[in-house]
Amino acid sequence: MTRNITLAGVGAIAAAALVLTGCSAGGDSDADGPVELVFWHGYTEADGDVLEGIVDEFNESQDEVRISTEINTWDVIDDTLLPALSSKTGPDLVAMPAERFPVYAAKKAFIALDDFYADAASNAGDVVEGAKAMTEVDGTSYGVPIGFVPVAIYYDKAAFAEAGIAEVPADWDAWVEAAKKLTVDENGDGTPERYGMVLPDHATVGNGVWPSLLWGNGGDIVRDGAAVIDSPENAETLEFWRDAIANDKISPTGVDGIEADSVFSSGRAAMTFGGPWMTFIAGDAGIDYGIAPIPAGPQTQAASAIGLTLSITDQGDERKQEAAKQFLSFFLNDDNAAAWSLGSGWPPLRSGIPAEAVSENATVAALSQFTPFTRPLLPGVVNSTDVLSALDELTQRAMAGEDIAGLLEAAQSKVESALADQ
Amino acid sequence: MSAPAARAYRPPAPLGGRRGARVERRRTLTALGFLAPALVILGLFVAWPMLSALRLSFTDASGFGAEEWVGLDNYVRVFTDPDIRDAMLNTLWYTVLFTPTAVLIALALALVLNSPALPFRGFFRTALFLPFIVSLAVAAFAWSYLLDPRLGLLNHWLQGAGVQLGDVLEDPVLAMPAVALVAVWKNFGFYMVIFLAGLQDIPASLYEAARVDGAGAWLRFTNVTLPLLSNTFAFVLIFALIAALQAFDQIYVMTGGGPYGSTQTIVMEIYRSGFRRLELGFASALSYVLLIATLLLSIVQFVFFGRREKDLG
Repeated sequence: MTRNITLAGVGAIAAAALVLTGCSAGGDSDADGPVELVFWHGYTEADGDVLEGIVDEFNESQDEVRISTEINTWDVIDDTLLPALSSKTGPDLVAMPAERFPVYAAKKAFIALDDFYADAASNAGDVVEGAKAMTEVDGTSYGVPIGFVPVAIYYDKAAFAEAGIAEVPADWDAWVEAAKKLTVDENGDGTPERYGMVLPDHATVGNGVWPSLLWGNGGDIVRDGAAVIDSPENAETLEFWRDAIANDKISPTGVDGIEADSVFSSGRAAMTFGGPWMTFIAGDAGIDYGIAPIPAGPQTQAASAIGLTLSITDQGDERKQEAAKQFLSFFLNDDNAAAWSLGSGWPPLRSGIPAEAVSENATVAALSQFTPFTRPLLPGVVNSTDVLSALDELTQRAMAGEDIAGLLEAAQSKVESALADQ
Repeated sequence: MSAPAARAYRPPAPLGGRRGARVERRRTLTALGFLAPALVILGLFVAWPMLSALRLSFTDASGFGAEEWVGLDNYVRVFTDPDIRDAMLNTLWYTVLFTPTAVLIALALALVLNSPALPFRGFFRTALFLPFIVSLAVAAFAWSYLLDPRLGLLNHWLQGAGVQLGDVLEDPVLAMPAVALVAVWKNFGFYMVIFLAGLQDIPASLYEAARVDGAGAWLRFTNVTLPLLSNTFAFVLIFALIAALQAFDQIYVMTGGGPYGSTQTIVMEIYRSGFRRLELGFASALSYVLLIATLLLSIVQFVFFGRREKDLG
């Protein structure tokens, strides 16, 4: 009986090993007829409809290439891409969050697109600089941006009016002052019924809240490929916000990005951090919302981008790769770049798209103004998820009251280790 | 009346010889024929992937592109990487929390539910077994919500009783005990059923004899039940141990390895290395280290219980 149990254990581990192993089978596209491409993406709302429309138009615009889309959640795409590509049954085009992109690019899962960018006919010559930077690893671009939008402040106009605040704060001190005025503890039990803001301390929206704050005070996480998280500037930033949260109770603690959305939409916070989807969440909750940039820090104004990339996979079929490039050019042309921006609510990806082309969408118009100080998050950092885990641990523990100097030292070591492994 | 005729004793045909060998070969071929489908499946889905993973563990494979032979580098990293060391300690902590708790609760309940005097035995057996058939992911989600400090019923009820539980899944000290307890809740019913089967195999006459000899309940338990339950105990313990060492799904759903990596186990590290960092070679090496550790622990228990059974015998 015991031997059977042992075998069961071996079998279970072997099953895990099977997943890790994958199998190999190749194949070229049919030389006759149109080139068939498969495109994986995770856009499921109104943005998904717009993207599907662009794909349909591409298919109708010519006879040489046919694209079919497969829609899944971003997590499922991430989990299934590796086994699919390793068995050469993966998609030809794939969209993915920018923080997951570098590891695939570094392992050469995608083809290099430097030639594509150099070709005037690609429509990629004026892609927003920061957006392009998030597609690069070691100076080579492995994709085009499909989304590049700043983390911004979404606020409750009624709460602002009630607190007598006429203007959105422009710097950190004014921001905390406004948050204090907006914080309401009616019964005086120390737990406000409404917080001035909800500042998530881990797994924040697009992982970009804390990088934005660190940059605002002249700090950083990784600079020129080196870990720089353990700095006096970052210590000062963490002290500042811990003080505001612990002493002034302007925000709940222990909240992540998803919970922050629900705290704001349920009326328990007057300000939150978010992306364009917050307009739908706030709208559904009946909140008269406004959009504002993250206020300027003591050193500069900065906002981390919530980014997505679109890449061509390298499965050895050059005919398919060339066909996929045709779609990228089509996606980036003037009409589609504007249509994608309007439909998705994300600012245009090309600087050549005039403001008036997207002015009818108020969210896009507002967010587009923030593009000049929007920065890509950890561009080119292959093990960015490990770096972000270290950042999450740092901010969560710091806001919980632990020693900031020790936490920064530990985070520095973890970020260095993540950078050394790539 | 005549005596019955004595039946002539005919000894069995001697082994060996040409006819014997033919029969033996035919039997072997028949056996192989019946075994073939299972052997093919085992070879294809167990042996081949295991061998492939073993080969991968000596490379820097990422799943695509070229791969290079790196010798023992991956294995050296398994034993020097501080993250892996932390994950090993976490796995050990989880195993210590989960295995004895689940096994002892299962044994205690099996003893209670084996008593014919207990009314509604069938109902209790079914009710306690039910969590085991609930999907692991569903159970994990349900418990995550129950434990949520803002939404959770458990916190709400405890607050009513004046107890402030807090956000246990976000607490680096309490998160691991919390996920281990949910695993105990999920699995003890299965172990209990195995114990019940073992208890029912013990002849009632032994208990009668012990009673006649004046043995009380404790002596009957230690001198009759435990020794005769030795095999079942070994089975349950090894099964629980393997489950603990391979803990993944439930922890992944409930904490994702957090907070601060305090619930990051070895299998979660295998997942992170393989699917997040695309380091299939390292993930394979880690899988093999886990495989060998599991085998060694299973063998140790097997030998221990085997010897104990022999001593008792």
